[in-house]
Amino acid sequence: MSHTVLICDDAIFMRTMVGDILQQAGFEIVGEAETGVQAVEKYRQLRPDLVTMDIVMPDMGGIDAVREITKFDPQAKVLMCSAMGQQALVVEAIQAGAKDFVVKPFQPSRVLEAVQRVLG
Amino acid sequence: MDTARYAELFLTESQDNLSAINHALLELERTPAAREPVGALFRAVHTVKGMSATMGYTVVADLSHELETLLDLLRRGERQVSPGLMDALFSAADTLERAIELSVAGREDDLDTAETIATLRAAALPASEGADTPVASPKQKKRKRSAAAPTTPPAPITINVTQAPDTPMAGVRAYLVVERAKTLGPVVHVQPDSEAFYAETFDGRLTIGIDTGASDEEIDRTIRSAGYVADVTVTRAGAPDGGKRPALPNGDGGLAGGSAGRASELVPSRQHRHIRIDLHRLDTLMNLIGELVITRGRLQQLAMTINEPALTEAVTQTSRLVADLRDGIMTSRMVPVWQVFDRFPRVVRDAARALGKRVELVIDGQEIELDRSLLDEIGDPVVHLLRNAIDHGLETPDERERAGKSPTGRLTLVAARDRSAIVIRVTDDGKGIDRDRVLAKAQAMGLIDGTRTDLTDDELFRLIGRPGFSTATQVTDISGRGVGIDAVHTRVRALGGTVDMKSAKGEGTSVTVRLPATLAIVRSLLARIGDETYAIPMTHVNETVQLERDTIRHVKGREVLVLRDDVLPVVHLRDIVRLPRRDGGGGQVVVLEVADRRAGMVVDELTGQQEIVIKPFDAVKDGLSVFSGATILGDGVPALILDVSSLF
Repeated sequence: MSHTVLICDDAIFMRTMVGDILQQAGFEIVGEAETGVQAVEKYRQLRPDLVTMDIVMPDMGGIDAVREITKFDPQAKVLMCSAMGQQALVVEAIQAGAKDFVVKPFQPSRVLEAVQRVLG
Repeated sequence: MDTARYAELFLTESQDNLSAINHALLELERTPAAREPVGALFRAVHTVKGMSATMGYTVVADLSHELETLLDLLRRGERQVSPGLMDALFSAADTLERAIELSVAGREDDLDTAETIATLRAAALPASEGADTPVASPKQKKRKRSAAAPTTPPAPITINVTQAPDTPMAGVRAYLVVERAKTLGPVVHVQPDSEAFYAETFDGRLTIGIDTGASDEEIDRTIRSAGYVADVTVTRAGAPDGGKRPALPNGDGGLAGGSAGRASELVPSRQHRHIRIDLHRLDTLMNLIGELVITRGRLQQLAMTINEPALTEAVTQTSRLVADLRDGIMTSRMVPVWQVFDRFPRVVRDAARALGKRVELVIDGQEIELDRSLLDEIGDPVVHLLRNAIDHGLETPDERERAGKSPTGRLTLVAARDRSAIVIRVTDDGKGIDRDRVLAKAQAMGLIDGTRTDLTDDELFRLIGRPGFSTATQVTDISGRGVGIDAVHTRVRALGGTVDMKSAKGEGTSVTVRLPATLAIVRSLLARIGDETYAIPMTHVNETVQLERDTIRHVKGREVLVLRDDVLPVVHLRDIVRLPRRDGGGGQVVVLEVADRRAGMVVDELTGQQEIVIKPFDAVKDGLSVFSGATILGDGVPALILDVSSLF
């Protein structure tokens, strides 16, 4: 049985790319969210094995979403997707409960390594 | 990674973000104290930055990074909105747009962003240099840590960690190492200070003192789970050297196993779902449907000839299904006009600023839908109209006040549906067209009878639309090169539409563009001349009249059609296609209407109505043809489609 993933990013481009990387590695993309609010809702609904979370999103950012998701499920495995220059935000996200992070630009091997660490 | 297949998606989404950026900038300019526009700007720029970095478009990524840095300062209230700052942001948004387009085209080196970046950096500098210079990184506190040994007593276990050389965000990764270590037991000390993780001098080495009962293997595994760890060495107190353990080989976590498929139990919520479809695919479908419609026509004719009830019924049913299918595909090609109108507020703002005018733009009917291929075409003509209105229509604030008007001009852009047509109207409350000047110029050029003292709206518009006819006293950057209205006219006509203008001196000007809602299929009246069939789009057909002996009269040597109370000019399709006229022997007159103007056209015979599929026609491009395209009729015979507006 493949692992299920919820992808949260406000850019379709990013969702597609992350989705492709994970799908090719055998993951099942069970949902996508464009906002933090959606991310929390979909997490409750879908209970995925893994969440990839963009930091900057409209309507509740990624960090608050991680906080909400971890409150709901302390075992939630959230992988933050960050851009250069967001050190402080990534630290905040980890404090909020994120398990790991990847830095854009994404390289498939690095994304998959991070996913392995989170799920491992 | 092969990013080529993402380029299209990148471009589409970047354009959405650019649009959001422009909107937020306009909003910010209006309400400098508002917080939401800055947040929206930051998000959009940030998204572009992430996407472009992934695509390897460094020019875009670098530029958006600089922009983001400045926006972040704005967001945190460390910089204030000023006109100079707005100019820098607007100009950066433009450069960003060009950078994106060029990058996707593989020509990012064509653009020099140095100046834009310098401007952004200058804007990011504090207003009063030195006084309250913020630290480079908010994480970097001024407090200097003494180089002395840790204040806490040495812990029983010391972990030395070395990160991989190319670790992205090494500082955060180091923080994660410490966080992982904390799961083993209380961390007594960390060196360097965690604040130093984020400094440029951090070299990827850290030492953690920890009190834990975990085994060396467990420690090694836990520390490595933070990622990008090249080396872990565990030293136990009391065994200063012998206790050092080399790092274990990197374990493979593996992805096997996992939870049962929870997702399969869940029914996805029935929300509105969208997918993006490549326009080419829809075009292909549209072409196929076009062929199908033609074949349907042929089938119907055959069924009529064979006259077998079962066949007729099957053909009728097929026809209905084809019609439904066609409607479905046409609908799927429709997009709301805001997708194009969206960029107009910015266009208007820039033009108004350049010309020293004050303009309030009101847009209505953004939700009106138009065929995608048409929508791409109307953008430029509408921009022409808006710029024309600002340049020639609207007065400067001073002039307006002298004329007793509000100093801010009002520009209205309205989209509306009218039967199968889409109407787009640009109205300004400016000075209107100076008829006397147009008349004088037209008379000077010998275009109008010198004894005339007034012009009709119609004549006025046609004069202004003439290539090279411009009464603008000076040519501005914005318009007034005598091509504006003319270019609009040509473009709209090529799309099968019409342009119409009304102007009242001192009150303003209104230009109306009428377009068919879809391009590809039009219902047409079929007229025959000799052996040839011509198609006349029904959008322009008002009515038809049987040609009798006295239907056409001669007034002042001209042929006219007297229709109830109206006297309409008459043209002969035979003249147009250069065939000799017939002597008597019946015929029909088709009453054509284009933008309130009517005329009668004499044809030999009307053979019916049919939905025809327009096959684009190169002759249209030279602007000389009276035909807008060709089609293939149900019986397989080709027919030319008359460009009705060219007859007026």
